[in-house]
Amino acid sequence: MEHEAIEELLAGYVLRALSGEDAREADRLLSEHVPACSRCREALGGFQEVAGELGLGAPPVSPPEVLLPRLHRELGEPSPRRRSSFLLASAASFVLIVGLAGLAVSQNLRANHLAQRASALADLANFSRQPDTSWVPVGPVTAVARPGVQNFYIEGHDVPDPAPGTVYHLWLVSGGQAKHIGWFRPEGGFVVLELALDPNLYDEIVITEQPEGVTGGVPQNVRWRAPV
Amino acid sequence: MREDDRDDLELHRRLSAGDRSAFDELYRRYARSSYGLALRITGQEVLAQDVVHDAFLALWRAPEAYDPARGPFRTFFLSLVHHRAVDTVRREERLRKRTERAANLEPVRDEDVAEAVVDESFLSGRRKEVREALLTLSPEQRQVLEMAYFGGMTQVAIAERLGIPLGTVKTRTLAALRKLRGVLGRED
Repeated sequence: MEHEAIEELLAGYVLRALSGEDAREADRLLSEHVPACSRCREALGGFQEVAGELGLGAPPVSPPEVLLPRLHRELGEPSPRRRSSFLLASAASFVLIVGLAGLAVSQNLRANHLAQRASALADLANFSRQPDTSWVPVGPVTAVARPGVQNFYIEGHDVPDPAPGTVYHLWLVSGGQAKHIGWFRPEGGFVVLELALDPNLYDEIVITEQPEGVTGGVPQNVRWRAPV
Repeated sequence: MREDDRDDLELHRRLSAGDRSAFDELYRRYARSSYGLALRITGQEVLAQDVVHDAFLALWRAPEAYDPARGPFRTFFLSLVHHRAVDTVRREERLRKRTERAANLEPVRDEDVAEAVVDESFLSGRRKEVREALLTLSPEQRQVLEMAYFGGMTQVAIAERLGIPLGTVKTRTLAALRKLRGVLGRED
């Protein structure tokens, strides 16, 4: 594909205006071509900045006065769990994944993974018992979430092993920016993760297949993705 | 980097550490722009309020979603509001009525007249630049850009609505973004 055509897709992508085959092709380009192409990275960054500025093209309007008090009520105290997760994220984002089971998320946590598996399964059972639970398929796994709850689960059975030399990486996308959450590897096809993050605050869940050392940047080699 | 962008960066840093006063200050700076944008896209005050509410709550709960290396806070946050508003519009499946209004460039409701002297006065200069930049586009480029950005329409839907080939929509969109990038980049 020529760069002109790629940039057409990137322009539609930043405006959130792609659908169907164009959206799929853009996903492929964003994971396979753009990260390695300085011209496309530069174009994408420029378009994203323009798209953000375009928001100023709408007339400013004061929101209802009740909005800020409503937000204040819902802010709550800064969550120690979230805050600590944030502090750790820059150094080792995989620590965001807690209560894991059957996963090689970190060597330190792997030692007691059997106990964690049981604990995570019990937590997931309790969590998903509520009537407002939503189940979002992301390839062979399912994201289990509840509105207003600041954590969610990824669970799956019969999840295929990643290609040799790679692991699965979990990303959450918000405002066009992908955040690397951590990596995991199924054991016997089994996956259950508890994440101390509110999935409703993100637009999309993305799972990639990349080498273990990846801790950020742009998602590459996307295996599965789904809107939150 | 503009001084206002540096201030935003510092506010974001404080917010990330759990500073509520920084949250309030960012709200004061961006609430009107965000609500105006969400209202323009959704066309409904209740939906717009929910969009802005969710965006600010997302900022509070996941401040790390913003990466300063990728540009000013303002473009990140307004993109966040835009994405959520577009998703809301599509979810609500009330696209047609709103896009007709969004495409005519008229405000959904009266714009706040005190813009230059109240909360987000620092944004007024950039807002003027953006509006002037939009005027540099050809009417055809501006039309497809506004139908996509403010109308929340896909390019396929725009092509159908205007009765033009999808390729033409793509070409006009790319030309519009390139031109805006050049104009806004020069004025930055």
